[in-house]
Amino acid sequence: MGMNRILIIDDDEELCELVSEYLTAEGFETECVHSGDKGLERAKTGEHDLAILDVMLPKMNGFEVLRSLREGSNLPVIMLTARGEDSERITGLEGGADDYLPKPFNPRELLARLRAILRRVEGREDGFPEKMEVDDIELSTSARAANVAGESITLTSVEFDLLATLLKHAGKTVRKEDLSEMVLERKLSPYDRSLDMHVSNLRKKLGMRPDGSERIKTIRSVGYIYTLV
Amino acid sequence: MNLFFKLLLWFLVTATLVFGVMYFITWTFQTQPMFSRVQRSSRNQMIIYGGTATQIVNSEGEDGLRTFLSRLKDLEPPREVDLVSDDGKVWFGTNEEIEDSQELISRTLVSNDAVVDFSPNEKALGAAPVTFPDGSKYVLVLQWETPRAPSFFFGSWLGYLRLAGMLLTGVVFCSLLALYLSSPIRKIRDATQKLADGDLSTRVADKVGNRRDELAYLARDFDLMAERIEKLITSQKRLTRDISHELRSPLARMNVALEIARTKANPETQPVLDRLEGESQRLNDMISRLLTLSKLESGSQDFERSTIDLDFLVKEIAEDADYEARANGKSVNIVASTKCRVMGNETLLRSAIENVLRNGVRYTKEGTAVTVALTNGSREARISIVDHGGGVPDEELAKLFRPFHRVEEARDRGTGGTGLGLAIAEQAVRAHKGSISAQNTADGLRVDIVLTQADGSKGPHVN
Repeated sequence: MGMNRILIIDDDEELCELVSEYLTAEGFETECVHSGDKGLERAKTGEHDLAILDVMLPKMNGFEVLRSLREGSNLPVIMLTARGEDSERITGLEGGADDYLPKPFNPRELLARLRAILRRVEGREDGFPEKMEVDDIELSTSARAANVAGESITLTSVEFDLLATLLKHAGKTVRKEDLSEMVLERKLSPYDRSLDMHVSNLRKKLGMRPDGSERIKTIRSVGYIYTLV
Repeated sequence: MNLFFKLLLWFLVTATLVFGVMYFITWTFQTQPMFSRVQRSSRNQMIIYGGTATQIVNSEGEDGLRTFLSRLKDLEPPREVDLVSDDGKVWFGTNEEIEDSQELISRTLVSNDAVVDFSPNEKALGAAPVTFPDGSKYVLVLQWETPRAPSFFFGSWLGYLRLAGMLLTGVVFCSLLALYLSSPIRKIRDATQKLADGDLSTRVADKVGNRRDELAYLARDFDLMAERIEKLITSQKRLTRDISHELRSPLARMNVALEIARTKANPETQPVLDRLEGESQRLNDMISRLLTLSKLESGSQDFERSTIDLDFLVKEIAEDADYEARANGKSVNIVASTKCRVMGNETLLRSAIENVLRNGVRYTKEGTAVTVALTNGSREARISIVDHGGGVPDEELAKLFRPFHRVEEARDRGTGGTGLGLAIAEQAVRAHKGSISAQNTADGLRVDIVLTQADGSKGPHVN
């Protein structure tokens, strides 16, 4: 397996340089682009394994880049949200970002999330059976494809793993702590709501059951459960 | 009492006083002298009547006197005429009125001169001595209506009509005047309150209408002031926001540089780098909070609202805080909870409760617990958070919610506060039209957050 190629799209050239230096030292190959349109162009080439995308970009902002990118690409994306505002986080995740990091970020955190996403995409041994069928949902682990009622839906890698984990334990409550470790590959920290946001996005994509009931239920302060009819 | 009623009352008092003064002047300078003149001429008349009667009885005898007295009686204005002897016998006229005149008769006999008695509201009495040819003494007594100056307002329906007309006109026009004066003042006051509540776009000149007086100038000046304040505050807030935002770029670069340095540094340098990382993290926290605060303080923002189960929210936050607190040998306990719901923005409410709770955890002494109680009244939900951190001086209580206010600087720095948590909590609670207050307890601080419950909350029951 060759070196992973990371595309960094950020208008702060100095920051790009530093991140690039840091990631290179950690064994990645990097490419820096300083504008949204150029970044989109490069991301679409398929030469990269992951993109780090800043929200605040001149001309075309990060959300627009992500939206355009998602029209034809499944390139994993970590978004850097500048203001750390909740609305931005949610917009980023809804737009199909695999994870987000509020800026300024801890580089070790960036590295950890980056590796987690790459591992997932490269199909690590995650213990999921090749085919899973629960209700009207079909998951194909190797292709990372999901069908609901025969229709294909697009899930980010986090959402896919989240769904697979919940389906594997369908009918049982999965604790938030476990979900965080299994899916996000990090310990659940207090005040971290990103898991809740991923679940909320997943719910929107899955939709209700034909009978109008919610598929994934929240057990307040404990975790989530994929309910069985 | 409001201005409208004050103006009306003042008018009524003024009107009464004017009326009284006019009445006094008229009475002193017009009625009284006229009255004296009438009194004098009546007396002269009595002297003439008495003299004439004496002459007639001497020249024409008793029959002549009787004719004279009868003629006297028929004169205008109508009068009673009596002739009484000095021993009380009525020689002419009826016996009836003599009783009232007894005192007058004796006075006339003593002075042997005409006497007039005008008592107000009674009949006027006049008496004059008459001497018969045989030398016997008689007294001529005349009784008639007291002449009276007609009252302008009292005593006749026309007078009362005048009075009513005057008062009614006065009240109506004075009400209009009061309204004319008080309504722009009320509008300016409303605007001032709105401005004080943080609505900096409040303007009032247009509402005051097309007038050119001091009130209109006041309204215009208010608008100028509001505009200036709005500009100042907006630019100050923008500055805060921009500065905070701009600070983040170098901070982001610093973090990465720090991490690169870490990979190249020898083991002795690591603690210093840890320290640098910690300080950078603190700076970042502070910037986040400044941004949140400046966003909240602008106040006009519309937040996404939904129904929130406050008991779940409090439980969740308390558990997170407890997790953190345990690392320092402290804890967070929920001592009371009840089912209640509020309408609001979950993120904001969460940050309000979280900030107060974390503040409590920061200050409470090691080995003690911060307690959280959620109770509800008929319309309100109350979250009380009590720590055992020794409290603050009483005069500092109200200032606790000011940004960067610190009670004990040295201690606070040691505990890692940013000085913004409570300010954020206050702004977040205010955005929900709730209230937040702090009180000292025996050995700590108690902060109460009071919110309005959403309709349809269930009655109290303890979980």
